[in-house]
Amino acid sequence: MNSGTPRVARPGDDGTLLRKRMDRRRALHVLLGGAAAGAQAVSACTSSSAATEAEREARVLQWQEYIKRNYRFMTDEERGETIDRLERLTKLRTGADVSIQTTAAQPGVVFGYAFNISRCKGFRSCVEACINENNLDRRAATQYIRIFEMKNGEVDLDHADATFEHEVPAEGHFYLGTQCFQCANPPCVKVCPVGATWQEPDGITVIDYDWCIGCRYCMAACPYWARRFNWSAPDVPAEEVNPVQHYLGNRARKQGVVEKCTFCIHRTRQGRLPACAEACPTGARVFGNLLDPDSEIRWVLANKRIFRLKEDLRTEPRFWYFTD
Amino acid sequence: MHLTAFARSALDAATNGGRRYHVWMGTLTLIILVGAYAYSIQVREGLGVTGMSDHVSWGFYISNFTFLVGLAAAAMMLVLPAYVLHDVDFGRAVLIAEAVAVAALVMCLLFVVVDVGNPLGGWHLLPGIGYLNWPRSLLAWDVIVLHGYLALNLVIPFYILYSRFTGRAPAKHKYLPWMYIAVMWAVSIHMVTAFLLAGLPARPFWNTALLGPRFLASAFTAGPAFVILLLWFIRRETHYDISDGAFSKLALITTVAAQINLVMLISEIFYKFYSPTHHGINARYLFFGLEGHNALVPWIWSAILMNVAATVALMIHPLRRNPKWLMSACAVLFVGIWIEKGIGLVIPGFVPSPLGEIVEYRPTWVELAVTAGVWALGLFVLTVLVRVALPIEMGTVRSPHLTERPGAPVIRRFGPRGGTGEQRPVRTK
Amino acid sequence: MTGRERGVLALLVTMLTAVGGSGCFDESEERAFASPAHADSAAMSVDSSEQARRRALEPGALGTVNAAPVSGWTGPGGEPFEVAIRTRDPLSAQARRFGTITLRVSLRARAPDLGQYPCTSCHLGRRMTLVDTRIADAHENVRPIHPGQTGATCATCHAPDNVELLALRSGERATLDHTYRLCAQCHFAQAESWAGGAHGKRLDGWQGRRVVMGCADCHDPHAPALEPRIPFRAPRIQRTGGREP
Repeated sequence: MNSGTPRVARPGDDGTLLRKRMDRRRALHVLLGGAAAGAQAVSACTSSSAATEAEREARVLQWQEYIKRNYRFMTDEERGETIDRLERLTKLRTGADVSIQTTAAQPGVVFGYAFNISRCKGFRSCVEACINENNLDRRAATQYIRIFEMKNGEVDLDHADATFEHEVPAEGHFYLGTQCFQCANPPCVKVCPVGATWQEPDGITVIDYDWCIGCRYCMAACPYWARRFNWSAPDVPAEEVNPVQHYLGNRARKQGVVEKCTFCIHRTRQGRLPACAEACPTGARVFGNLLDPDSEIRWVLANKRIFRLKEDLRTEPRFWYFTD
Repeated sequence: MHLTAFARSALDAATNGGRRYHVWMGTLTLIILVGAYAYSIQVREGLGVTGMSDHVSWGFYISNFTFLVGLAAAAMMLVLPAYVLHDVDFGRAVLIAEAVAVAALVMCLLFVVVDVGNPLGGWHLLPGIGYLNWPRSLLAWDVIVLHGYLALNLVIPFYILYSRFTGRAPAKHKYLPWMYIAVMWAVSIHMVTAFLLAGLPARPFWNTALLGPRFLASAFTAGPAFVILLLWFIRRETHYDISDGAFSKLALITTVAAQINLVMLISEIFYKFYSPTHHGINARYLFFGLEGHNALVPWIWSAILMNVAATVALMIHPLRRNPKWLMSACAVLFVGIWIEKGIGLVIPGFVPSPLGEIVEYRPTWVELAVTAGVWALGLFVLTVLVRVALPIEMGTVRSPHLTERPGAPVIRRFGPRGGTGEQRPVRTK
Repeated sequence: MTGRERGVLALLVTMLTAVGGSGCFDESEERAFASPAHADSAAMSVDSSEQARRRALEPGALGTVNAAPVSGWTGPGGEPFEVAIRTRDPLSAQARRFGTITLRVSLRARAPDLGQYPCTSCHLGRRMTLVDTRIADAHENVRPIHPGQTGATCATCHAPDNVELLALRSGERATLDHTYRLCAQCHFAQAESWAGGAHGKRLDGWQGRRVVMGCADCHDPHAPALEPRIPFRAPRIQRTGGREP
């Protein structure tokens, strides 16, 4: 099932390989750190410009952020350091206090999602909740969720409308929502040239925003159009920023990298429902642990008629549609 | 000692020239600067200043990239007859072709660099300090093959030219194995780039087994066509003698490739339209437009018209042998393939989106300026390479340190021109 | 317990919950809710997590009530089945069979929402007379679409002897928190989906505590179809601050 997960060395499970890699990394770090310190000293001596203490600190932190490595290969210590830096950088830049989690996947949990196409009325409350919860770029009006309005009698995305503005539900129509389906066999993960995106043990496909180089190959590879790109620096009004964040989820993204739905990883790893599921006014969204036979999602899979989109592609989405 | 002299003579060759040369290089520099300015805007504001969107996430840059990979690959294919089949006529074309390959690769890599959102993260690709997702990601393959190909195309001609410069005959056993590798590699860069697109079931427009062969066919059309134009220009402007035989052979390659390319295009069109499945919807958008969206329709039909007209012209022997017709046909083919394999291949993969939404793409001025800048840089590189290589190849430039050594070995012609080392009389102006 | 006494009790409960719940439930109740998973999360995250959770549960006070078995529902194989036990403290909750699945859920309390203007303000005897002598526009906000479609009268659902309670077909009475018991008498397919988790809405967690919306939380019982509305549309905003470095 997890054939899509890249086999990578995790800290501690492959001693020799890792030690070698870390040694090289360490060397690089020492080298670059020294360069940074040198540059720092030079700029401190030479620049008489009004670089404030905060700006200088931010620059050092920024540099350390730049040379950090892929989140997957970080030790717990390194993860802690980057979290501290990111929180501090946010504080320095926007004055906001955010808290970035690194909560790992719970053992024995694989998330699944079911969407009731009989119930969805196209209100897009989920979209609103998603935007607020995940700190989505307000300027470009980025949305992870897309709600398609379709005529009764056809499930045909080609003739569906996702830009409806009229009063809903429209007579003779039904609604089908899409977002990242967290495929068990994700084509997007396979294609990433730098391994910046991967599937977590709980089935969530995540992105290390700081490792992504922005080539957008994953966007071309996704059959469900689930990935979004930061075409410009994302903009969220300071008072609307959700301070509860996860490194792999809704933390601040930067210009030029790809992002996607993570089933609200900062909520779901704490046992809470994704924001979209909780916001849905019609109860069309069902979320739960696929490995728990008593979960709601399992009840839906066992008792309802279900289908998935583009099953012929063998992506094995963990997102099912069902009807009453 | 020789190396410094080589660098100095290369610099001389690149910086000295007639008025027309300086105007040409000046114009290119100006375009490069405009492109650099446009790119600075893009770096500051983000890729939002381009016409790309979440729906059409690759645009003009990647279109040019796919086209230029073909150009790079095809140029190298001329090496095959020259070195392996010992075709004398091609001997002189090869060096030029390799310069074209290098220039095309430089453009390819630059188009990728300007396309990525986070170019400073480029070091993440380096194995060791970064992580290259090889062999799973076709893009990782592409990174490897493109850089390897660039290295091959830099090192082999450099070795040959440097040997000549220092008055030694290039040792066949040293460069020939690499030549063979380079030829295989030329096919691979093109196939890998085709696989990069063809391996995505998410995009049925690309997800066809014919894409790789089609890439090769179109590359062997556009590549030799470009080399013909370039050689013709060189023959007209310099003392470098290129035989008519080389032209006729190149023209023949171009003609055959153009025919195969058309056959493949027809197969593709038949497959997409005879039984119009859902998977043909992107082709429908490309050729006929969808729901009033038809930005690419005039382009693709012009491209088809150009390709057909040029192919027909090339198929008529008297026309092909007439330089005027040959040059026009090559120019038209080059543009036709550029459209067909650039925007005509990349953009419709995204329209409509995998969820059936139609969002059209139009490049912005920033994109066009950056593209022009990259092309200008490629032509700049090409000009410099040709200018450095030709005098050495023609034997007019040698290391100054050679004169101090009497009895320097007889200079052999580059390539398989027979081992006598005799020089053909060169045309004088 | 006579009907009268029961009515008094219900009224008391209603009023108490209304008072206690009007400003969201208090800290002790909230702590009582915390399952082990949530306790962990509290340690890992900051206070804003609690705020976020509290926000998620608004509007309206959330309380939970104990559910009673619903007679007349049948699960697979015709077996009578039971709505799960609902309790304030999942730790002490005994999970019971629930259709084909076992869950610990909490039911979102309905009564506090109705507490602002208790029925007894007018129905002094808590009695509903069937002969129409009421004030003309007393229930003008009630759009009797559902009764109109089904031919029901007020007394089909409301207990004529106690307006605070619902009248089940079996003769039993249910409080307004337990609308599902009433609705399920006809809408058994929906009720089964609701019990399974496919209909209605769950709040808060996929793990540990579940909070379930009752029928009348989403549906106006008198006009159950959801009101059409203009869908949300993400507003595009101007840049709010300086450029990201």
